[in-house]
Amino acid sequence: MSRLLKFNIFRYNPQDKSSRPRTEEFVLEETDSMTLFIALNRIREEQDASLQFDFCCRAGICGSCGMVINGRPGLACHTKTRDLPGEITLLPLPIFELVGDLSVDTGSWFREMYTRTESWIHTEKAFDPAALEERMDNKDAVAIYELERCVECGCCVAACATARMREDFLGAAGLNRVARFLIDPRDQRTDNDYYEIIGNDMGIFGCMGLLACEDVCPKHLPLQNQLGFLRRKMGITSLKRLFRK
Amino acid sequence: MPITYAPAGKTGKWDGAMDWLQMLSGAGLILFMWCHMILVSSVVVSPGVMNAIAEFFEVTFMAQVGGPLVFLLFLTHFVLAARKIPFRAEGQKTLWQHARMLRHGDTWLWVIQAVSAMIILIMGAIHMWVVLTDLPITAVKSAARVQSGFWAVFYLILLPLVELHVGIGFYRIAVKWGFVKDADRAKFKRGENLLTLMFIAIGLITLLRFLFLSVN
Repeated sequence: MSRLLKFNIFRYNPQDKSSRPRTEEFVLEETDSMTLFIALNRIREEQDASLQFDFCCRAGICGSCGMVINGRPGLACHTKTRDLPGEITLLPLPIFELVGDLSVDTGSWFREMYTRTESWIHTEKAFDPAALEERMDNKDAVAIYELERCVECGCCVAACATARMREDFLGAAGLNRVARFLIDPRDQRTDNDYYEIIGNDMGIFGCMGLLACEDVCPKHLPLQNQLGFLRRKMGITSLKRLFRK
Repeated sequence: MPITYAPAGKTGKWDGAMDWLQMLSGAGLILFMWCHMILVSSVVVSPGVMNAIAEFFEVTFMAQVGGPLVFLLFLTHFVLAARKIPFRAEGQKTLWQHARMLRHGDTWLWVIQAVSAMIILIMGAIHMWVVLTDLPITAVKSAARVQSGFWAVFYLILLPLVELHVGIGFYRIAVKWGFVKDADRAKFKRGENLLTLMFIAIGLITLLRFLFLSVN
């Protein structure tokens, strides 16, 4: 006899004037290898067609199904119900704008972050479409790829106490993005240029080192190491800037 | 995340320097607290040893000059670190809800650090005032203070709070600045917890020694 799972799900539709934030209870029989993604789809199909949540790839690649699962931000498709107790509470990710129920708009936040961090290769070299692509050291390519694995689910931002307290904080996702360009040999930006972007309390110096980002990241990105690397790098840059004159 | 908040060129010129100073003042105070505990606990070995150490610091004027300097460092560290503490009820509520929701050890450690900071600010200042305005430091005077009752309770509160704050601070500096990498974090944290417990134990033994030291 499989377990009967009790789901407490946050419900609220900001588009509907009569809607009030509340928690609704759903009961579902657990099946083999059930993920929260499967459970939510069954609830929507069998019990309440109005339930809103995001998903796309079902495989932890698109980063759409981030939500707070029993207090911890995580991906619904990556979370097996057998790893959870019989009572499961699901809330939308904080910080991001609520679309409805468990669905939030992470896209606008990340678009904003991309603009602020100028998230593209800055180079003076003219692009020659006919030329062979410039080679880079394999070690660099692997290091960049490691950071590029971010699926932008927003879990690290939602788990960050600094981001909860100040909305202008870049968060681990944004700082990780900067670290990715900092180690890219094609990007000609200097440490001083990066200091303009993250050398402040909205950037790396705002990070208090609580490391919830590292602990909840569903892709297990090396966020702690990247934040330490950026703090040292920007810390040294700040001293150089102070004593340069 | 409003885009106009941090336009290019408007950087935090002093934010980096203040982060350095916050870390360095904290590291300095950690070292001071460790030395302080070792020196005070010398009373357990013998009151004569503690008196000799205290006399050395007073004859060389290290207590008279160093004491106020440590107090200055203490205040500087508070002002710098307080930049991150929410003082408005709204921020405190958000942080409290966040910590309760997340049930994440390191987030709770920060809450402990912030709350203990407020209490240490007041009790630490009182302790420094009382000791530095009544030099020289002797084992008998310290014992008489502890035996008065009030000060025993005072130090029973201050001791664990300081050691927790120092221990968490040491761990935080190491992981925040990347001196300890992700692979070693759990091990380092266990070691740090042990060290904190050890210092609390030494502190309690020292308090007991003062409590039973003859003051006549």
